[in-house]
Amino acid sequence: MNCLEFHRQKLADPPRLSAEARAHAQACASCAAFERSVDESDQRLEEALASPVPNGLADRIILRSRTKNRAWRAWTLAASVVLAVAAGLSFVREPKNAADQYARLAIEHVMMEPESLTTVRNADPPALRTIVQDFGGTLKALPGTIRYIRLCPVEDGTGWHIVFETPEGLATLILVPEKPLRATQSASAGGWNAMARPAGRGYYAIVTASAAATSRFERTLEERIDWNRRERS
Amino acid sequence: MRISHHRENFEQTVRAYSADLYRYAHWLCRDRHLAEDIVQEAFARAWKAWSELRDLEQAKSWLIAIVRNEYARSFSRNRMQTQEIDEADLPALPSFEQGLETSQLVALLPETYREPLLLQVLGGFSCAEIAAMLGTSEGAVMTRLTRARQALRQQFSDAGKRRSAR
Repeated sequence: MNCLEFHRQKLADPPRLSAEARAHAQACASCAAFERSVDESDQRLEEALASPVPNGLADRIILRSRTKNRAWRAWTLAASVVLAVAAGLSFVREPKNAADQYARLAIEHVMMEPESLTTVRNADPPALRTIVQDFGGTLKALPGTIRYIRLCPVEDGTGWHIVFETPEGLATLILVPEKPLRATQSASAGGWNAMARPAGRGYYAIVTASAAATSRFERTLEERIDWNRRERS
Repeated sequence: MRISHHRENFEQTVRAYSADLYRYAHWLCRDRHLAEDIVQEAFARAWKAWSELRDLEQAKSWLIAIVRNEYARSFSRNRMQTQEIDEADLPALPSFEQGLETSQLVALLPETYREPLLLQVLGGFSCAEIAAMLGTSEGAVMTRLTRARQALRQQFSDAGKRRSAR
């Protein structure tokens, strides 16, 4: 076994080194250091690949396999609602405290869609103008550079998921129509901060990495979008 | 009695592997809703054919093959909906997204490199098992995995230098 062969084995299948390769690493300081470095980058890789798994996935699969009629989708949807309400979503949702429920739902949404922060998709200002208008607001100026726009499933319907590049970093705006919200909500979970506030035809939620960034983005949003709150009240 | 034994094995398999299969599907399609549909369909097909599974030890690789097949089917159904990613347009990542940097770098790998890497890291399969799944030689899988890790390590190093320079 030489160093080149060791490198080849280690890069191809890090956890399954041959006895010969393991013996080589014990005798060769350079290859031992290489081994540590590959293990570190593989650890980082493993963490990155561990996408969050939807809550209740296994239960929905099992329920579907037990349901013989074609209406499985309705059953699984009902089951997922029951599961979400009954079990809560681990650390994101706190069923005992409903006062910040919609802010927490927004954090959960961002965590379940990490590609929204790494992907440029439909970054189109005229589309945003139309979306805001349909939501009951008027876009006076962009609150940041648009990176991502997508219509997503949210509780009871669909909502717009929009990501902006701002001087403080990325800010996610989620517009949820037809959902009454009486007061502003705030929450922090999993390294994210969120606020939800009544606006337009429903409410909007902002998700950023810190309370300060959320607050700054909210100010910018309120300056640049007229939500026509007076007309509604 | 036989049916309930099958049912029990199936449900244990769902609980053991659905998360890994979801992650694998998510990395193939990069869409969480589609990934769940793919995994749901894959297990529905697996349950229909469950009596054909002779060795439970082979269940995971069998399910991976079904997920790959479902992904191919969904890809052909949803071709018009696939998102366009222009990586050249991506601005520099702000600090709080650094944790997602690795995901982005993995997403940039060519599919021929990315898929064996997913099967090895998420699935825990050996090079020989991956070769059987992908219908290629063990040597070819080893080469792809070596190149994938070399490319990622280079990217990690470059990203680290860029962060230090800011």
